Amino acid sequence: MSQAEKFRKIVSKIHTLPSISGVAPKILSLLDDPNSSAEQVQEILRLDPGLTANILKLTNSAYFGLPNKVGSVKQAVVLLGWRRLIKIVLATCVNAVMDKPIPGYDLPPGELWRHSVAVSVTAEGLMKELGLEVDDEIFTAALLHDLGKLVMGEFVAKDLEAIRSAAEKGAPFQIAEREILGTDHAEIGGMLLKNWSFPSKMIEAVRWHHDPDLAENPGTLIDIVHVANVLCLMLGIGAGIEGLHYQPSSTVTRRLGIKPKQLEMVASQTLQWANELSSVFV
Amino acid sequence: MRQIVQVGDMKVGKKGDILVTHALGSCLGLMVYDPAAQVGGMLHAMLPLSKINPEKAMANPYMFVDTGVPILFKELYKLGGEKKRMKVKAAGCGSPMGDSEIFKIGQRNYTVLKKILWKNKVLLEADDVGGTLSRTVHFIIKTGQTLIKNGSREWEL
Repeated sequence: MSQAEKFRKIVSKIHTLPSISGVAPKILSLLDDPNSSAEQVQEILRLDPGLTANILKLTNSAYFGLPNKVGSVKQAVVLLGWRRLIKIVLATCVNAVMDKPIPGYDLPPGELWRHSVAVSVTAEGLMKELGLEVDDEIFTAALLHDLGKLVMGEFVAKDLEAIRSAAEKGAPFQIAEREILGTDHAEIGGMLLKNWSFPSKMIEAVRWHHDPDLAENPGTLIDIVHVANVLCLMLGIGAGIEGLHYQPSSTVTRRLGIKPKQLEMVASQTLQWANELSSVFV
Repeated sequence: MRQIVQVGDMKVGKKGDILVTHALGSCLGLMVYDPAAQVGGMLHAMLPLSKINPEKAMANPYMFVDTGVPILFKELYKLGGEKKRMKVKAAGCGSPMGDSEIFKIGQRNYTVLKKILWKNKVLLEADDVGGTLSRTVHFIIKTGQTLIKNGSREWEL
């Protein structure tokens, strides 16, 4: 099969992947609506009690630091505010599709979720350490960055030897994927989010997480997800078959002005939160 | 018994035990073995120096190379291990591609390990460090064998 045929096959697979949940796009559309209310969120979530239970579990985890446990979505909105609740809802939706093993990348069940959560808390930690204002989009963008692996896994598995040998010749793993399959997991992740009508800033952070220098609109969201991802792989969280075979961008580290000490400081905090959050649903 | 050594953790064992650690990226995996006493231990340390976060180091000394390595040796002495017989092997300490200093945590982990061993006159018998691999290590205490795995590939250290 030619590279172009493989690419077409992978893209057609995007449309067969069930959406992360019917709830996610509805919740996202509320974000843009100035008149949206706590009642509307509750209305949407009422259709899915399992999801609601998990949302409350995550809301009550130590990471979000609420002084008292909440028992309803409405209470959660009051205490956390809109935007923070939405990131919890999306995280809960994402968890449901990430608990499977990912072939090709050699990730055991649950490891992609653990990695995704780790990148989210690392990204927020980096922003704090660098004195940047932590916006709520960063958590979700980081959480979704590897979504493309869900689609790409089976194709990577089929061509693993060819991809590995391209990588061993010196290409970063996503370039090796492109060389053999005509696309890579970051591009497919971006396409998935576009399909599900996510905001363009998030799509770009996912699309360029390995190639931030190629982004048309470079920005902090892309830069932070890029660095946080490399750091989590270094710590072995979600490091699959490709290990650390990616190239961090020196343009990004210069732009962020990040120092080795700051990266180590964030690393020392990552593990506890990643373990805490990733075990919420177990 | 098979024991898993998590990131930022340490385990010791006697013959019959197998110590396993998964996905060593830039972290240091250190295996220490006394063949006469048939005791061994494994450390999975994340960062080189505890001074970066003394509070974390107090709560969990195994997170750092400088605080984790001495405790590993001390725990083995308690089980009857002797320093002069110890065989020491290291794995991990990888880095992403490129030459950015910022991401060289793996190299810094290795440098701090070498310094500690040198100061204490302990030799490093073998190592499999650096590069972009994610390594899983099986340490079989009965034989002292250290097996490294990456995907379907496996080799002995």
